[in-house]
Amino acid sequence: MSKLWKEFSKGLWKDLPPFKVVLGLCPVLAVTKTADNGFGMGLAVIFVLTMSNVLVSIFRKIIPPKVRIACFIVIAASLVVSVELLMQAFAYPLYQQLGIFVPLIVVNCIILGRAEAFASKNPILLSAVDGLGMGIGFTISLTLLGGIRELFGYGTLFGTRIMPEHYKPFSFMVEAPGAFVCLGLMLSAMNIFTSWQARRKGQAVLDNPGHECRSCGICSR
Amino acid sequence: MKEGLKMIAVLTLICGMFSVTLAGLKEATESRIEEQVLTYVQGPAINQVLSGFDNSPVTDRMKFTVHGTEERVTVFPALKEGLLLGVALETFTKGHGGEVGVMVGFNLSGENLSGIAITTMKETPGIGARIAGHGFTSQFKDHSMDVELTSKGGSIEGIAGATTSSTASVEAVKQAVSIFQKIKPQITQAWPGGS
Amino acid sequence: MKEYFLLFISAIFVNNIVLAQYLGNCPFIGTSKKISVAIGMGSAVVFVATMSASITWAVQEYLLDPMGLQYLQTLTFILVIASLVQFVEMFLKKAVPPLYKSLGIFLPLITTNCAVMGIAIICQREEFSFIKTVAFSFACGMGFMLALIVLSAIRERIEVSRTPKSMKGTPIALIMAGLMSLAFFAFKGMI
Repeated sequence: MSKLWKEFSKGLWKDLPPFKVVLGLCPVLAVTKTADNGFGMGLAVIFVLTMSNVLVSIFRKIIPPKVRIACFIVIAASLVVSVELLMQAFAYPLYQQLGIFVPLIVVNCIILGRAEAFASKNPILLSAVDGLGMGIGFTISLTLLGGIRELFGYGTLFGTRIMPEHYKPFSFMVEAPGAFVCLGLMLSAMNIFTSWQARRKGQAVLDNPGHECRSCGICSR
Repeated sequence: MKEGLKMIAVLTLICGMFSVTLAGLKEATESRIEEQVLTYVQGPAINQVLSGFDNSPVTDRMKFTVHGTEERVTVFPALKEGLLLGVALETFTKGHGGEVGVMVGFNLSGENLSGIAITTMKETPGIGARIAGHGFTSQFKDHSMDVELTSKGGSIEGIAGATTSSTASVEAVKQAVSIFQKIKPQITQAWPGGS
Repeated sequence: MKEYFLLFISAIFVNNIVLAQYLGNCPFIGTSKKISVAIGMGSAVVFVATMSASITWAVQEYLLDPMGLQYLQTLTFILVIASLVQFVEMFLKKAVPPLYKSLGIFLPLITTNCAVMGIAIICQREEFSFIKTVAFSFACGMGFMLALIVLSAIRERIEVSRTPKSMKGTPIALIMAGLMSLAFFAFKGMI
């Protein structure tokens, strides 16, 4: 039980994407104009990530190591196609909003990275829990970033007005530059918090987590 | 050799399994997706070109075969208390960068157009896109079925610098008019006429 | 001719693939620490994006559309891109070793670069003709390379200047990218 919890909770804080493990930046920046969109994208990622982890884990014994990446890609891509179909059938406005970034879930490093680093080596239940945790962490981050940008950019939150009537929307926040700057500031706030926490516990203050595209592990073939 | 065979077998197995699942899912969601696309893409355009109805044109839509051709068109009716006020149908023509889709509304009582709206538009950004704006399309409101650009002796004013787009949309309206006239008997048969 | 010129300007400056369309951000932040690396990655992207967009165009036109399999677009495109990258890697290794030496290490990174797949999908959604697809994907790749090189030049300077400790590394790079994106906004008025 404790092991399951450990795998689940690491996605929520210790390895929280995209703040602790800087992966999957494109959807993070692109779909977080509003909290709604961020949340919807997060749900799609939870589905694909959990299912792909489960399937990879089921097939891990029979997949030959040489073609494993191809197998992971087929699994992830099929799941993304299912998400596309389901989203078109049941949440068409969201599908229109997310646009090109729905099919692009397939190249999100988190999916292939977790398949390679975790699911291909661990039993089914653990892999499912790992995917679920990471997915929920990702959803929370996306919703949070979307909420901040929506609040300042439109003065609303989940579509309801929060800011006072005379608040003038700061539309910089919902355009591309705002996305970059906002994420940069959040990352730096995260760093300040982490080093404050480490100092309080009397541990050595670590350097900022570096971001290497290669850290997803998929490319180290 | 044995490893190679296994590789091929596993890949085939996985691909086969997923393609069957996906085909099934596609089959299951197809009609719902069509409904959703019509509601969210064509729906707003229909609301622009038809007015005064109390039904849902998208759910009441019907397909008709155009006389003498294999072509099938979807017609969206505007009903009030069960009586037909007008219909809308969508046509496509080739524009500058791809297809231009136009939703054309017909007024049954007055035998004229009740309005048009642009549904698909892939033109040079900034120039061609202006035909989607109100100034151009509002000229068609309550216009007679005889449409032509002023440059060709008609009464519709094209947009300066967007000749291709203007021509393309006028062509689409003309096409819609000719389809409408061909299938009109079928339409009045399908829904009881008003007024 | 004017049309293609507009397409180029629009893809490189106005709708820059990284700074305005949010595609390919992972390698944009990940490989922009040094100019030499940025040039390698940028040219690999230009090369692969152009090739993959043309091949996926043909796949869509001659395979998916006639068979009514448009819903498998995502699946097919990613498989085409992944195998293309593998193939290019093998080909370069055998045929042009010097080129492989400079581009080789970046090629595997490209499979998960969403700019490449994004360009292929955009070309389909906009229903470009074949020549337009080639021109557009090449221009988008150039836009990616331009943004990457400019950012890496800025980061090389920032590395040696004083920055708040919490900002070092990725955060300051993201903020620089934001400022660059703001600068590119000025091109919006051009078209």
